[in-house]
Amino acid sequence: MASVFTGAPPQGGPGYSFKQTPTVALSGERQHSFYPYTDNGGSTLGISGADFTILAGDTRSTHGYNINTRYAPKLFKIGGEGPENKGSRIVLSVVGFAADGDALKERLDTIVKMYKYQHGKSITVAACAQRLSHILYNKRFFPYYVHAILGGIDEDGKGALYSYDPVGSYEREQCRAAGAAASLIMPFLDNQVNLKNQYEPGSGTGHDLQAKLAQPLPRKDVEDLVRDAFTSAVERHIEVGDGLQMMIITKDGIEETFTPLKKD
Amino acid sequence: MNHFPQAWGRPRDDVYGSYDHSHFQTNGPNQHTQSPIVTGTSVVAAKFKDGVVIAADNLASYGSLARFTDVKRLRKFNDQVVVGFGGDVSDMQYLDRLLLSLDIRENYSSTENPLNAKNLHTYLAKVMYKRRSDFNPLWNHLLIAGLDGEDKPFLASADLLGTTFSSPTLATGFGGHLAQPILRKLLPDEASVERVSEEQAVEVVKECMKVLFYRDARSMDKYSIAVIKKDGVELKEDEKLENQSWAFAERIRGYGTQTA
Amino acid sequence: MDSLVAQYTRPAFSEAGQSQEEQQGLSQASPELSLKFALPPVAQSASWLRAMTDDYSNPNCPIKIAHGTTTLAFRFKGGIIVATDSRATAGNWIASQTVKKVIEINNCLLGTMAGGAADCQYWLAFLGMQCRLHELRHKRRISVAAASKILANLVYSYKGMGLSMGTMCAGVTPQEGPALYYIDSDGTRLAGNLFCVGSGQTFAYGVLDAQYQYDLSDEDALELGRRSILAATHRDAYSGGFINLYHVKEDGWVKHGFNDTNPMFWKTKLEKGEFSNVTADLV
Repeated sequence: MASVFTGAPPQGGPGYSFKQTPTVALSGERQHSFYPYTDNGGSTLGISGADFTILAGDTRSTHGYNINTRYAPKLFKIGGEGPENKGSRIVLSVVGFAADGDALKERLDTIVKMYKYQHGKSITVAACAQRLSHILYNKRFFPYYVHAILGGIDEDGKGALYSYDPVGSYEREQCRAAGAAASLIMPFLDNQVNLKNQYEPGSGTGHDLQAKLAQPLPRKDVEDLVRDAFTSAVERHIEVGDGLQMMIITKDGIEETFTPLKKD
Repeated sequence: MNHFPQAWGRPRDDVYGSYDHSHFQTNGPNQHTQSPIVTGTSVVAAKFKDGVVIAADNLASYGSLARFTDVKRLRKFNDQVVVGFGGDVSDMQYLDRLLLSLDIRENYSSTENPLNAKNLHTYLAKVMYKRRSDFNPLWNHLLIAGLDGEDKPFLASADLLGTTFSSPTLATGFGGHLAQPILRKLLPDEASVERVSEEQAVEVVKECMKVLFYRDARSMDKYSIAVIKKDGVELKEDEKLENQSWAFAERIRGYGTQTA
Repeated sequence: MDSLVAQYTRPAFSEAGQSQEEQQGLSQASPELSLKFALPPVAQSASWLRAMTDDYSNPNCPIKIAHGTTTLAFRFKGGIIVATDSRATAGNWIASQTVKKVIEINNCLLGTMAGGAADCQYWLAFLGMQCRLHELRHKRRISVAAASKILANLVYSYKGMGLSMGTMCAGVTPQEGPALYYIDSDGTRLAGNLFCVGSGQTFAYGVLDAQYQYDLSDEDALELGRRSILAATHRDAYSGGFINLYHVKEDGWVKHGFNDTNPMFWKTKLEKGEFSNVTADLV
């Protein structure tokens, strides 16, 4: 994209980045060798329904092959009253570098609480989602190393789910998996929630096949899907396990559940 | 225009210079805070039903040299909290001064409740995260042991990146490999904390210190151990490992000049 | 003497916590779209950022930013057609198949997204804010030329910092007629009849250049936009998903669907006999 109109590469200058072997940097002295990120593993998942949103995350925290702890939540209530976030209707899940995740959570929580002070009403999920995007983008040049998913109930009472990349591009979706086992869980969700590659039985063969249309799923089915996704991810990913924390957001509040997962 | 569509939209060498892999390297010219010099090794800690026990040996190493043999790496804070330091000793001393100034400030303020372990952990985690965000980290791994606001045992960690986590048992550095499995056998989960007595916890922590001394080349047999309960902190700074058994040593084969 | 005393009585550990400024930043209802960015405190911040995020030069880089695209826009007598695919990739991982790459800046201006998804979203939202402010100050709609120049000047001021975006601004105003501009993160700003941007641009140009005429009817123009993106999604692995189609007219833009490419591909093949390189036999 960037090179659309430049024509031939500059002669004699440094090469393009897509040379097969990147050349060694010629930058001068560099003082800093400290690497400020780590990956604490784990996975998160969110699915929105007609009048609810479910967010889930495993509770294992890893450092390399070591398990830091078997209970480190990745789901955080945002807004509401006091340190317990009473009465909150928004949940943020973060996976990646846990310290950045905590910093991000605290930033958003403070902003959402200040919003209520200053405007006299609770923030809407749509506004909160956009604000989170801007918080992430404000660190465009020193990113938060996190994949965030935000869930809540929108102004029409429907489940709302927003997913983010580390620098704040965001999108409202039906479902999203993030973190270490995203590549294991997301294809499963595509098939089971968005009904990708599923066809109406008896609609014909070959090109006559009619694709099934995705419908918002009932809450029980979604909870089962989430549990299946995680028990399967635990079988095939070393950084996922120990416990499954789930938060179900409805208009009446946030229900929190915890299910043990395999600890090996 | 070129024939590598993958590269479109990505930084170009002629604009940004070539890709610099050295940002991932940890050698090269350093500022002194960019890598630890005089270091302390593991800190181990475990909860029990009315408190927490925490231990660390008294050695400060200079590379592979056992340089200082009476450095106390457990620090008491306002008679309710103990902080254990792994990693760089100079940064530990900075944090010690920082905690001292915090303590003085707290004593002058008129608040009823002194800072508990949970408060102190939050504070230290913020300090660590702030310093890593400045690319000037405090090269330590801290364990904070004490009681939380509801007088329940509290044990949590904060490292040089600002990462925080809490668990019934924690160990830094080499202890993460050697001590944690032993501790987790006694305390597999939060529920098991209620079933463990002070004696059991102290015993298992001492056992861990012994195992660490057997296998961690940067450890020594003099150590500090602290027990934090509701009625205060009992800190012993001149303990010596007892009942060592080196019988396993003669069965070790395959290192150094030994061939058979 | 006082200054000397002041120097030595300042709090010794002032650098340990958050600065006054940072704390205020949290409590103030500061403008959400600001130009203040946290920079990594290293000597070459752009180089550092690239080391962390350039997944092509180093597939193991820790932070993978969503990339990849085919977008196109062209002017014709009935206005402007804007069409995009909807795939976002992070390395080889397809991060999303449902990205909205046409950004509705306001009800008569459209922007497209290629390169860094976050860069495009943020700066086009920022542009939307500037356009609204222009309307309020001058009591008339901003011209496309002015809007695109705001964006071009902005990204130029960040040149060398690591932004990555290739965007098109399309709009119809009474004074300009249909106007189309290409802006990229190098600071390039070009007016033109026809642009394709992104990793699938060559494939889209191939179809678009062959069929394009200024006198196209509305239906033919929409079909051409759709067909060009379809060709790109077929041949470019980094493009795919859905085709997002817009028609910009003087009284605003009209959306013409967000349609799955797969059924569209088979329809094009089986009903029109195109894509004969692909077999339709089911064995």
